[in-house]
Amino acid sequence: MSEAILQTAGLGKRFGGRWAVKDLNLEVNAGDVFGFLGPNGAGKSTTIRMILTLLLPTSGNVRIFGKDARENRRSVLSRVCGIVEKPDFYLYLSAYKNLEILGSLTRKVKRDEIFGALEIVGLDSRAQDKVKTFSHGMKQRLGVAQAILTKPDLVILDEPTSGLDPQGMKEVRELVLKLSKEHGTTVFLSSHLLTEVEAVANRMAVLNHGELIAQGPVSDLLGGDSSYYSIQASPVEGAVQILRKNPWVEIVSVGNGIDVRIESKRAAELNKLLVTNGIDVASFAAKRTLEDYFLKITEGASEV
Amino acid sequence: MSLLSIEIRKTFRRWRTYIGFIVVAGAVILLEVIIKLNETRMAQNFSHGLSGDFLISGSVLNAWVITAFIMNSLYIHVPFLIALVAGDMVSSEATSGTLRFILIRPPSRSNIITAKFFAMLFYTALLILFLGALCVGIGLAFFGGGDLISFQTGMPHIVILPAHVAAASTVMAFLAAILSMSVVGSLAFLFSTLVDNSIGPIIGSIAVVILSFIIGNLPFEFLESLRPYLFTTYMGIWQLLLNSPVDWGEVGKYALALLGYDAAFFAIAYFVFVRKDIKS
Ligand SMILES: Nc1ncnc2c1ncn2[C@@H]1O[C@H](COP(=O)(O)OP(=O)(O)O)[C@@H](O)[C@H]1O
Ligand SMILES: [Mg+2]
Repeated sequence: MSEAILQTAGLGKRFGGRWAVKDLNLEVNAGDVFGFLGPNGAGKSTTIRMILTLLLPTSGNVRIFGKDARENRRSVLSRVCGIVEKPDFYLYLSAYKNLEILGSLTRKVKRDEIFGALEIVGLDSRAQDKVKTFSHGMKQRLGVAQAILTKPDLVILDEPTSGLDPQGMKEVRELVLKLSKEHGTTVFLSSHLLTEVEAVANRMAVLNHGELIAQGPVSDLLGGDSSYYSIQASPVEGAVQILRKNPWVEIVSVGNGIDVRIESKRAAELNKLLVTNGIDVASFAAKRTLEDYFLKITEGASEV
Repeated sequence: MSLLSIEIRKTFRRWRTYIGFIVVAGAVILLEVIIKLNETRMAQNFSHGLSGDFLISGSVLNAWVITAFIMNSLYIHVPFLIALVAGDMVSSEATSGTLRFILIRPPSRSNIITAKFFAMLFYTALLILFLGALCVGIGLAFFGGGDLISFQTGMPHIVILPAHVAAASTVMAFLAAILSMSVVGSLAFLFSTLVDNSIGPIIGSIAVVILSFIIGNLPFEFLESLRPYLFTTYMGIWQLLLNSPVDWGEVGKYALALLGYDAAFFAIAYFVFVRKDIKS
């Protein structure tokens, strides 16, 4: 049985007359890598700010390690750390000094620990350079180093891969998995990229316009083995006719290209089917954007 | 590291913090060099200003006289240098986004704002002491010691402090000036918690200081009734200490008023900061 490490109950925040986040009930269990998915402006950062006591909730509360986060702020936050929005540091101080100052707010940090954290994110050789000289990607990595420096039990990362190149994104994802597997750290990670959540998370919640749309194991929510593909083929009509004859192919839309939903393991089969029937396939790509996911969720809802 | 030492370190790692020290050093050195170059003429003018029957030991233009003179000329300008740092104390971290990183860690907001306030006071004290040490140091090197002749607004107009008390009086005057300037610092600090930019608090607090100086000095009766409520009224506390005899009752009253303003400005800053939604 896993225990809830982070729970929000009826959590909401209103800015002026608008609810940025409304009636949010999240549950993150020990050991989870929890993906918090939502498009820009969905309310992810606002939620994270409330969790980390930066914003006073308009409604509801946050419990971390079973305790109210505001009432037990000190003890709770000594075991939690993270990044909220873009990574901002004291630009006039070195990376080392930044970590020393921030870390020492939580507890005494040793020199080795600071270098350890910097090494994990590959910045140890730049330890003494002023953060002013860092690229966005380096600051993002320093943000992660800052978050894991004091070895918290719960790490909250707000879009940690935003602004990173593909290689950087991959490194951060690997780091998240490593934290989870090797250190047993619970990770709460927000993202607007479905692929990212799918790559690292075991459980996820989807937020849109401040409201929770779905929450559960990633494999359940993403339908496990069926997925969307986008096909560029010519002639289009011919391709559609062939696809129609195969009941295991669900045609989602026909426009510029053809969007279909099939079991992932039959992707190669579908490609071959088209080609052997004399259709030119210019491209055949898995389509896994959040929009598709929303489409799927709303479809699912109307089927009930 | 204690929160206070962290805040002081951060403050003194910033280039902005040294602007005050550089300006003070520049101004003091410039003034004293100019006075030195025109020493004879200025000493003559200065002696003419005094009625003939004063007995003055030492040079008329000596370290203490010049220090008092420089303090008098700078005490309108030093508030700028205080506000430059104090007005940036909280807002700079909002602007830079680092407030988010500090406030998700265990120390309470009360402790953080208090540490920042004391770091601001530390800077204020250091700047004023630096001003004092420089004035006196260069003054002694250039002009030597002597009696402190100061011009007071009350009666009699001219006060002469003998050489052996001049040093002690000057030190006390500078300590009082720290208190006086701390109010400017507190005001700028308060403004700094209200907004997320640095220009606003700096301009805002200076505007308030200048405005209340003007209101306090305009010769209108209805404005005079406001004088007891303006903190600038009490900022001249250091001048009281160059009087002879010192009216300690008055000094105490001024000091209490200044401390009261410090406490009030800090209290508002505290409550604003502790409740504030961090949106930066
Ligand atoms: N300080 C604020 N004042 C007013 N509205 C805000 C503020 N912060 C965020 N919002 C609004 O709340 C919504 C959610 O924003 P945010 O939490 O930043 O979304 P996300 O992190 O998912 O991109 C947006 O519509 C945004 O405009
Ligand atoms: Mg965001």
